[in-house]
Amino acid sequence: MRKVILWLSLVLGLIFTGLAVAQPTQAATVDNSLQEVKDKGTLVMGTSPDYPPYEFLVNRGGKDRVVGMDVDIAKKIAKDLHVKLVIKQMSFDSLLVALETHKVDMVISGMSPTPARKKSVDFSKIYYRGGQSIVVNKTDAKLYKDKNSFANKTVGAQTGSIQYDLGKKQIKNSTVKGLDKITDLILALKSNKVQGVIMEEPTAQAYVENDKGLAMVNGKFHLGDGENNTAIGFRKGSTSLVNEVNKSVDQITSQNLTKQYLADAGSYMKVNTKNTSMWHYAGYFGKGVEYTLIITVISVFFGILLGTLFALMRLAHNPLVHSVGVAYIEFVRGTPLMIQVMFVYFGIGLFINIPALTAGIIAVSLNSAAYVAEIIRGGINSVPIGQTEAARSLGLSKNQTFSSVVFPQALKNIWPALGNEFVSLIKESSIVSIIGVTDLIYQLKAVQTATYKGVLPIVVAMILYFIMTFSLSKVLNHFERRMRHE
Amino acid sequence: MSKMIEIKGLSKKFGKTEVLKDLNGTVEKGQVICVIGPSGGGKSTFLRCLNLLEQPTSGQVTFEDSDLTALNEGQLNQLREKMGMVFQSFNLFSNMTVIENVKLAPMKVKSMSSDDAQTLALKLLDQVGLKEKADVYPASLSGGQQQRVAIARALAMNPDVMLFDEPTSALDPEMVGEVLKVMQDLANEGMTMVVVTHEMGFAKNVADQVWFMDGGVFAEKGTPTEIFDHPQNERTQDFLAKILEA
Ligand SMILES: Nc1ncnc2c1ncn2[C@@H]1O[C@H](COP(=O)(O)OP(=O)(O)OP(=O)(O)O)[C@@H](O)[C@H]1O
Ligand SMILES: [Mg+2]
Repeated sequence: MRKVILWLSLVLGLIFTGLAVAQPTQAATVDNSLQEVKDKGTLVMGTSPDYPPYEFLVNRGGKDRVVGMDVDIAKKIAKDLHVKLVIKQMSFDSLLVALETHKVDMVISGMSPTPARKKSVDFSKIYYRGGQSIVVNKTDAKLYKDKNSFANKTVGAQTGSIQYDLGKKQIKNSTVKGLDKITDLILALKSNKVQGVIMEEPTAQAYVENDKGLAMVNGKFHLGDGENNTAIGFRKGSTSLVNEVNKSVDQITSQNLTKQYLADAGSYMKVNTKNTSMWHYAGYFGKGVEYTLIITVISVFFGILLGTLFALMRLAHNPLVHSVGVAYIEFVRGTPLMIQVMFVYFGIGLFINIPALTAGIIAVSLNSAAYVAEIIRGGINSVPIGQTEAARSLGLSKNQTFSSVVFPQALKNIWPALGNEFVSLIKESSIVSIIGVTDLIYQLKAVQTATYKGVLPIVVAMILYFIMTFSLSKVLNHFERRMRHE
Repeated sequence: MSKMIEIKGLSKKFGKTEVLKDLNGTVEKGQVICVIGPSGGGKSTFLRCLNLLEQPTSGQVTFEDSDLTALNEGQLNQLREKMGMVFQSFNLFSNMTVIENVKLAPMKVKSMSSDDAQTLALKLLDQVGLKEKADVYPASLSGGQQQRVAIARALAMNPDVMLFDEPTSALDPEMVGEVLKVMQDLANEGMTMVVVTHEMGFAKNVADQVWFMDGGVFAEKGTPTEIFDHPQNERTQDFLAKILEA
């Protein structure tokens, strides 16, 4: 019991020290947000490109590019500010955290300026006003008139979105199913998991135009001021930047530029849907496989390196070293990889700006290290004590005994388990897609958005994962067999 | 005769249980000591205290004029190489071939060249009758063969004394003889040996001294004739009676 308490206090102590240091320095009282952007010469836009026609990916010659109305707006703003536009993709959920942690300067992602959001975000003027629609299967279209037809039914909406709240509050007795991606919601609709999907009118329009199986219904929701409008989000206190951007927004409104932007988006969407064969998107999948492999291989390498270190720490006789080893291993194994990924990207990102890929690799490596440490420790402990005694009785030192006798034998037990860890990392690394690393899962979603096809990209990704894990297992088995002599 | 090992007031506790109680004894150069006694009496612990695989709780073990209990790790490693040890469960290194098992310590500890170690190892394997098994892995050998390799491995460090802990107890009966033969040859060549054993025949024929251990003490010490033919201590008599019955 005393031991347990010791470990707990050690772990908690570590976290609190981390947090104390991690407190973001209070927002500077002086607002130099505009000057900062001008000084660095770039304007970083955060967006979740799965929301046509606002923002989505197009595939041009195997390369994907974020396009859509919001991108055109961002381009105009950057041009007016005389800076370069940089687009960062990530999931909708991560956008505001990214804003807060200085990963992006602004968020343009079809976002409505709700009172709740206004508490933590400064918004520009409204640049687009649209209604909220409900997309349904065409076969059921006659059943639904407006939101009230969905009483006692299940509807879908993006997690954390306005539409989600609308569904909860304004449809009687409804169940609202929240998913991260519109593409997944459409898939849920088609498989009758939900009867309708609430989304903004232009988006609904885009889906219906591109998928003959879908129809749309005007939701006729009671929309508050913020709820049918779209604006640009900024860090709290960026008044100077907001004011400057509002000048561009005013122009957009007065010249009705969104009409042109939406037309452009529409033509891009036709490019996408012209060729929806998976071959056409081989480049997407290829890139996804490449990133998944890069993350896995580098993480395995550092995982083994650090894992060995932590295993030795845990086996050490020095009580302090031992406890640190135990605390690390237990803590990492006791928290989800997803949270670790977010912690590294957003938390550590407060001090040093690390790219998403690096953050993903760091998090996966640190996570893997804990599991590798246990594999190595188990392998070392499984070598019979008699082997050590025999070596010591011959005059071998502790180190000689370890390197010549114990470790080579431990390795034989460690190898297969390490191989399994390698294989499972290929699968588990997929979690990094939440911070926008373009691994296979991320690309799968991109292809789903681009092609309006739900299932086929999943099948392709599944097969690709299987090919990777299966061939790796085969290779590892081969080495394992070669190591087994006796 | 000169003293090889001298044990003075040796005690060993595991936690609160006192396993060895104030042991004294002397092993002369060239002597063969057989330690016999009932299970759990402390024989293995005693033997392991001689080369400090087990740290004595108190008392002294003097080997060739050095008090082992006062040495540091490095000095201890140097003296351990002169005390070969053979275990009940052989403990051959399973990741190495037979000859690699024998060569390891001379190369690592004495920095012998691989060629010299090879020559030495082949000579020793020949001595225990296993030259032709040099390149196989231990797992493919019988128990008796493994134990003979273990003896060769210990001899490769050219030890001044050999410690045996029930070297034949884990063997099928038909293999006991081949191992005892190797040990008998060693004794005949003048090797100093401390042997924990249940082989009363071996003790009778080969030992210079038999130490009977029970409950952590040497209940009786004497020549094989004294111990086997005229045991004085009641516990010795009981033990021998039971052994002979079996
Ligand atoms: N590492 C240890 N920790 C605690 N107790 C131990 C340890 N090693 C041995 N003992 C105890 O010390 C006593 C003596 O054990 P030891 O192995 O020396 O007896 P032995 O005479 O060799 O017996 P056997 O003939 O069965 O090998 C036993 O009661 C045993 O349980
Ligand atoms: Mg024993």
